[in-house]
Amino acid sequence: MKKFWAWGALIFGLLYFILPLLGMTNFSLKMRRGVYSLDAYAVVLGDPRFQETFTYSILMALATIVFGVLLVVPTAYWVRLKLPGLRPYIEFITLLPLVIPAIVIVFGYIRLYNTSSWLPLTGTTTGTNILLMFGYATLALPYMYRSVDTGLRSIDIATLTEAAQSLGAGWTTILAKIILPNVLVAVLSGAFLTFAIVIGEFTMAALLNRPAFGPYMQLLGANRAYEPAALAVMSFALTWGCLGLIQLVSRFQKGAQSAA
Amino acid sequence: MSFLTLTSIQKSFGPVQVVKDFNMSIEKGEFVSFLGPSGCGKTTVLRMIAGFETPSGGGITIDGKSQVNLRPNQRNIGMVFQAYALFPNMNVAENVAFGLKVAGRPKAEIDQRVKEMLGLIKLDHLADRYPYQMSGGQQQRVALARALAPKPQVLLLDEPLSALDAKIRVSLREEIRMIQQQLGITTVFVTHDQEEALSISDRIVVMNAGKADQIGKPADIYNRPATRFVANFVGTLNLIEAKVVDPATNRVSIGDQGVTLREPLGTVKAGDTVSLALRPEAGSTAPDAKGDTALTGEVISSNFLGSVIRTRMKVGDAVISFDMFNSPGLVPPAVGETSTLRFTAGDLLIIRD
Repeated sequence: MKKFWAWGALIFGLLYFILPLLGMTNFSLKMRRGVYSLDAYAVVLGDPRFQETFTYSILMALATIVFGVLLVVPTAYWVRLKLPGLRPYIEFITLLPLVIPAIVIVFGYIRLYNTSSWLPLTGTTTGTNILLMFGYATLALPYMYRSVDTGLRSIDIATLTEAAQSLGAGWTTILAKIILPNVLVAVLSGAFLTFAIVIGEFTMAALLNRPAFGPYMQLLGANRAYEPAALAVMSFALTWGCLGLIQLVSRFQKGAQSAA
Repeated sequence: MSFLTLTSIQKSFGPVQVVKDFNMSIEKGEFVSFLGPSGCGKTTVLRMIAGFETPSGGGITIDGKSQVNLRPNQRNIGMVFQAYALFPNMNVAENVAFGLKVAGRPKAEIDQRVKEMLGLIKLDHLADRYPYQMSGGQQQRVALARALAPKPQVLLLDEPLSALDAKIRVSLREEIRMIQQQLGITTVFVTHDQEEALSISDRIVVMNAGKADQIGKPADIYNRPATRFVANFVGTLNLIEAKVVDPATNRVSIGDQGVTLREPLGTVKAGDTVSLALRPEAGSTAPDAKGDTALTGEVISSNFLGSVIRTRMKVGDAVISFDMFNSPGLVPPAVGETSTLRFTAGDLLIIRD
């Protein structure tokens, strides 16, 4: 009887998630009346605005990942190595983006960095892009920090650091040659999650008026019927692709460890 | 002039002083062991030499140059850790080459030195292996090669054998000593295993509660312990309370039996109590046992341990344990019988603190 309820719950859960996806995918293929076709996908992929916004978001995601890694890896490493007492506070700070809405953060940015402020980042395109990247990095912080911190927990960073120091290495060498390669899988997990967040993010990009993929999806959804469904399927596939890559990378690491 | 000098080294963690006025001079090429129980401060002293801890007071010099204000990566000291600490993302050759690469040595020189080091530890055939593909003993040998590759002035070994099984420990400690002598490198070895320290050191520092209780050659530490702590910690030792009978003739009594000591009693008076130490291997109850001193008592236990027979005998209030080498003709004393333990009076040492 217990098994019956367990299977029942699982099937209900699967249907709850899969049925809307199937419905959406089915709808995205019905642009041509009476037959299934990939017309909606072709229209989306052929749209220059799609190419522009998608490329922009990919570049922003890559910049955010680089910035996030440069910010989070040394911070998490230093906190674990030298300031373990601060860990609960740092964890709390990194969790804040989960409870503070993106709209609050972006309005805060606009107030702080508008053209009449002491650092008028919104006055130029590059400045606004940098501001948006900071915003994305903030949104991705809980995931990136947790991934890296978990990775650092799995290695004896204190002894590895001391071993490297006794061999003449400075902090940059230790971080680049010892710490980063040993938490690379964790960093990649954080990077894929960051990528998925940036690709779908709407609020910050819209309010900073940047040509990102999120606002494009919203714009398309407001004016078209089949294309938004096709776009949603593509975006969903991209996100799942990222999650699949995390699994793949994690499995690769597990394989390496089990060989020991 | 000494090569490595520690002068009045002190270290406190908050209100707790873990190293108290520690002084030590080590000659070039010497192998010195810091021996002591957990928490005695031996690893803290080692970490101060390496630069991982800053002394609260005192000075450290290597070859006349003060090290106190140098960062660990500026000290030219090689270190081997208990947990191996090989870099998991690098194979054996890359691990050994790390220090040389950091120093910016030319590639040809690095390749040559890595080959030389792997030959020294006899692991040339495992150059491409990663740490997780090797045993603990192999990993520790690689760690030793890695520490030696940049030709450090001083080699520090922080309980490098503690994580290994008994057989590997013995073979690796012999290998470490052989390599140390071959390279003539000044070495400081931290251990809590007295057998390890006794077997491979030129000198031993027995540490207790943050200070050096005794510094000396292994035989001196073992045969002439300076303090009760050293006597207790190094080897198995009988500590016997004796009453002074006549200070002028060095006569004392153990229970109701008189013994004349070789060592002068010093400033004590009749009726005072003195602590005497006797090594288990110093005495025997065998019929042909030699010695100018005898104690008679009741045998309370006799255990066959293979190469030796360990017997415990009650003499007055004292229980004396002694080991006799096993031989086919030896009949160990039976429990409950009265037996006579013979030894040389010179083996009875006075413990003065």
